[in-house]
Amino acid sequence: MFYLGISAYYHDSSVALSDADGNLVDFKKEEWLSRIKGDKTFPRLALQELINFFNLSEENIKSITFYEKPVRSWISVLKHSIKNNPLSNDLTRNYFKNVWNSSMRFQMDISKYIKIKKIPLLYSDHHLSHTLSALHYYNNFPCVSVVVDGYGDKYCTSIHHVKSDKEIINLWNSEYPNSLGLFYSAITDFLGFSINEGEYKMMGLASFGQPKFFENLKKTIKFEDNKLITDTKYYDYVRRIDRSFSDLLIDLFETEPRLPNVSLEIGKKNFQAYADIAASAQKVLEELLFSIFQYAYNLTKERKFLFSGGVAMNSAAVRKCSKLKFIDQLNISPSPGDSGAAIGASYFGFLNERKKKFANFVSKNNIKNNLFPGKFKSKDNFLEFGFDKVADTDTFLNETSKLIAKNEIIATCYSNIETGPRALGHRSLICNAHSSELVKKLSTEIKKRNLFRPTAPAILKEYAEKYFYLENSLTNCYMHMAATATPKAEFLENIRGVVHVDNTSRIQICNETQLLGKILNNLKKFDIYLIANTSFNISSDPMVYDEIDAVVALHKMKIKYLLTENGLFRKKFEIRV
Amino acid sequence: MTYNYIPHPPREGKDLLGTLNEFAYAEYGSFLEVLALAKKAKSPRRKFGFIKHALDEYRHSSLFFNILSNQAKRGVGKFKREYRYFPQNVIIKGYVDKKGFLVEKLSLKNLLEFVYANELMVKETFDRLKKINSITKDEESINILNSMMKDEMDHHGQAKKLYEIKFPNSKLQIALKKERIKRNFRLINFHNIKLLNKIFDPIINFFINCFGKIINLISIPDSNNKNLLALDPKNVI
Repeated sequence: MFYLGISAYYHDSSVALSDADGNLVDFKKEEWLSRIKGDKTFPRLALQELINFFNLSEENIKSITFYEKPVRSWISVLKHSIKNNPLSNDLTRNYFKNVWNSSMRFQMDISKYIKIKKIPLLYSDHHLSHTLSALHYYNNFPCVSVVVDGYGDKYCTSIHHVKSDKEIINLWNSEYPNSLGLFYSAITDFLGFSINEGEYKMMGLASFGQPKFFENLKKTIKFEDNKLITDTKYYDYVRRIDRSFSDLLIDLFETEPRLPNVSLEIGKKNFQAYADIAASAQKVLEELLFSIFQYAYNLTKERKFLFSGGVAMNSAAVRKCSKLKFIDQLNISPSPGDSGAAIGASYFGFLNERKKKFANFVSKNNIKNNLFPGKFKSKDNFLEFGFDKVADTDTFLNETSKLIAKNEIIATCYSNIETGPRALGHRSLICNAHSSELVKKLSTEIKKRNLFRPTAPAILKEYAEKYFYLENSLTNCYMHMAATATPKAEFLENIRGVVHVDNTSRIQICNETQLLGKILNNLKKFDIYLIANTSFNISSDPMVYDEIDAVVALHKMKIKYLLTENGLFRKKFEIRV
Repeated sequence: MTYNYIPHPPREGKDLLGTLNEFAYAEYGSFLEVLALAKKAKSPRRKFGFIKHALDEYRHSSLFFNILSNQAKRGVGKFKREYRYFPQNVIIKGYVDKKGFLVEKLSLKNLLEFVYANELMVKETFDRLKKINSITKDEESINILNSMMKDEMDHHGQAKKLYEIKFPNSKLQIALKKERIKRNFRLINFHNIKLLNKIFDPIINFFINCFGKIINLISIPDSNNKNLLALDPKNVI
């Protein structure tokens, strides 16, 4: 029997499948299959693939859980808009016009793919789905869960007291439009990046600036009397659909919003002004997170924290939060955003069923064995796509290591894909991290990313402790690049390419059973202890999913080598792109 | 090739940048359609053929973004915020149908007819685009368009060849006429969106007036201090 969880209609739709014991057996994002980054449409391709892999039908699906309550979600923003804007306002009209593109149509959509007469359709609270997506990986009770995102069904921030996997108490919320996530998105929009896509670019840019606008900006959103309050005079997301910031915010920054075609190059005109704005917003975000975490502690006295929602992807803020003296453990799921909420939804289905049947239950889920769920195998037909096989499975790791030592860049399309937004080795581009020139080439020339965006390193645990100052509270986060660490001064020059301008690295600590761990183990003999690891996609494309995407991406990026579970391949010729 | 509908070159001086932006997304939509074809194809040779075709479409999309950027630099128009690259626009603008790719919806015969006809029509459209004053003056853009037109004719030829092998008794000229008529209907629809909005807006306003106040009266249940796992999981509000 299976429990299906679905997240869709707002951003990054996805499907998760748990088995009868609540273990995550597969997870797919629609964007991997549709090839449209951030695809938010009903995840029909992802669902179809799971139906085919697992022969899903009404006979073996115990429940289908949608990750939020659709009517509540649709009404909450609408109510606010009707109350505060003229009736014919753009946002109100947009909500009415798009009612049939929203989650209100979930039941209709799902019934096209699975007969739902015999299967219960469940609806989890949006922020509960986030909490459960983290809890699925860290069944460690009691603890407190902090959820911070743009907007869920009614709430934008929540504090849940997780007393057990039968009792999760909703202690505190901030309601729309008082949203830390929407605040950060509004500044992202101001800086000319796309909302829900450019937030991590803004985080990278922030390190180059000084928080010159911090004092002014913090007046627009504050945590006061245990309430998060946004001054919506500065933010147009409450009234417009084409822009998230208001003219007042432009006046506050005394800078024109950046047009997307104006290049952001270090040292060039306006770069510093925009970096200062990003730094100010980052500082506001961090300070408000500190207050929310403090309040969560005051309410529960728990020292173990779960953190989820889109804002939990802000790895720079995560590290700073982990230093708060009352936090012993800060755990984040590999996919803390809305797509990962499908995992929480499927887990909700399991817990809902289990409470009827079992008295005592110990979950076997943990972060170590759930980073790459699924049944994916790439096909071995690269020879017919213009590739040579360089090494078979008995020697491919050795050969890969030799090529890395020769400063080659290797792409991987290896077995199951990672659940989260960070590539952890199975859909990665990897190279020698000790060569800063090579890392720069990988990031800017090959991946076409801005120079201000950092590249992350992967490292074995024994060397992580040698090269970096690690936070004990973030041990789990380091396994999937959810937090940054500071390199030790004596090694800085040796790994400059994977250290950001603020002197931090978003490290991935690998164990020796993982693909990158095995490669790192092999690389010791070449005196290479870190590899640069970035996702196998060109900027603004989704991560590569299968062998066809891999071939296309290799040509787009002009990369020669591809490592799959079937061997190591070399491209024989380039196709003009 | 651009699927679903082919944007129309503007009259001289009228929103050229907007049209180029549309072309870029249209070509990106074609990239996704041909990629879907590559994934569905059975023979590795055909898969690889579609991969190459998809990469052509991807290149065209990038080149249109380049022409857009060049033309903006030449002062043809103002680069608007809406030209910011947003992948999901390919669905929002209708270049890929969220209900399915063409390969999922059309038979092989209809698909080949579609490709044959649309590649030719796109080539004709690029021909008209080349004649626009500000493009004529931009040698780089002309070269890009020429190279794209050559690709489109190659794809048109490949579709024709495969069609004639698979369906020797059918006539492609009829398919071309059919596609031209369909395209004209799509264009009429596309160019009349503003008019349609003018017709439907008062109806939507009427709905907002009727239901807005009712919606405001609906209270959303609060879950403060409640066990979230104990709430009714079938409740949608």
